[in-house]
Amino acid sequence: MRGAWLVAARELRADARHPDGFATAVTFVAALVLIESIVVGPQVARETTVAPALYWIALLFAAIVVTTRSFDRELADDAIDAVLALPGGRDALYAGKLIALAATIAAVGLVGGVLQIALLDLTLALPGHALVAVALGVIALPAVVIIDVALTLRLRGRAALVPVLAVPALLPQLVAATNALGLALSGDATGSLAWSGLLLAIALVYAVLGLTIAGTAIE
Amino acid sequence: MITALRGATVILGDRAVLRDLDLEVGPGVTVLRGPNGAGKTTALRALAGLVPLARGTCEVPFDLLYLGHRPQMLHGLTVRENLRFFTELRGRTSRAPAYSAALGVGGAREARIGGAIGRWGLSADADRPVERLSAGQRRRASLARLDTEWCGLTLLDEPFAELDDAAVALVHASLASARDRGDAVLVASHGHADLDEIAGRIYRIDDGRAA
Repeated sequence: MRGAWLVAARELRADARHPDGFATAVTFVAALVLIESIVVGPQVARETTVAPALYWIALLFAAIVVTTRSFDRELADDAIDAVLALPGGRDALYAGKLIALAATIAAVGLVGGVLQIALLDLTLALPGHALVAVALGVIALPAVVIIDVALTLRLRGRAALVPVLAVPALLPQLVAATNALGLALSGDATGSLAWSGLLLAIALVYAVLGLTIAGTAIE
Repeated sequence: MITALRGATVILGDRAVLRDLDLEVGPGVTVLRGPNGAGKTTALRALAGLVPLARGTCEVPFDLLYLGHRPQMLHGLTVRENLRFFTELRGRTSRAPAYSAALGVGGAREARIGGAIGRWGLSADADRPVERLSAGQRRRASLARLDTEWCGLTLLDEPFAELDDAAVALVHASLASARDRGDAVLVASHGHADLDEIAGRIYRIDDGRAA
């Protein structure tokens, strides 16, 4: 785990110095919320089944943006090779990026969530439960997207391939996260926690699977 | 013998980039020569465990330093931060002397990194993000890892690219020191004939095969 924390710290430090991935992701989430509320109308966009779905779809694409940006930085001077050639480098790279990108996506999620609440004038019945759903929901996103970006790392069609690979794998996560957040919005504490439990299970399964196949995917 | 490729074949796409290549690297300096596209980089990457072999074998040693033909410094971090990251992530190596500086702890590690930065002429730029440095400075920063990570085997891919005369002399001095310590170094280079003077063994490859 020491290697993972070192990679995560390196990632977050580079992000802090050049927060273009974070800024792009937040802009994307805000634009999507705004456009959707205009297209379907604020009444529909505010519904507790629609607003969370939009939120998680926006976060999924935000996760793709920040993960792709992270690997672009690794490829700029072949920095990734230096890490992969170190003992335990593959595992450290995957786990470190998972930690750092989950933190970045959580930050995007918090900013995007506040923007969505403000833009759509949402009332959050159970803010604590909503935070739990967001915290657990963001772990599975980089767990899957990192593998997809690694698989397509040196392919020209990467921008199109990553969403095609990520969306089917993340459908269970999107369903659980949308329900957990939707029920937190509407005030159903038990239902929200039940879906959050499922989110935790999905996050663990994806993280373990990711760690298992990361080396092969990167190779 | 520290490491070896035996009957190594690497296929990238639909092309065999290495074909049944045998390559032994022992203590001292080994030079791998060949024209552009001969497969030198792929041979080094195979030894570093970065490309899978379609056939043949390769034992990747535990403490291996691979410096590719690009600087491998992460943009967004400074030279010092990059060197610190690699030193911390690697931890102890078989070649590390048995005193506290080798343990990579606190001030001793920082002194070691500071010494390497000074030796490679990067003191004035050590705390600037690497993307703001010239290609030659980034290459120097990469080579400073020779002084911060002590490894039993070092793989250098075209280490003289983008370097000025002073830095070329530093590389030669580092190679001579490694040879004198009994470390193993494999250098892939298509030029710099003077390398042959310090090389214990020279391999030539062309079109992925021993020439």
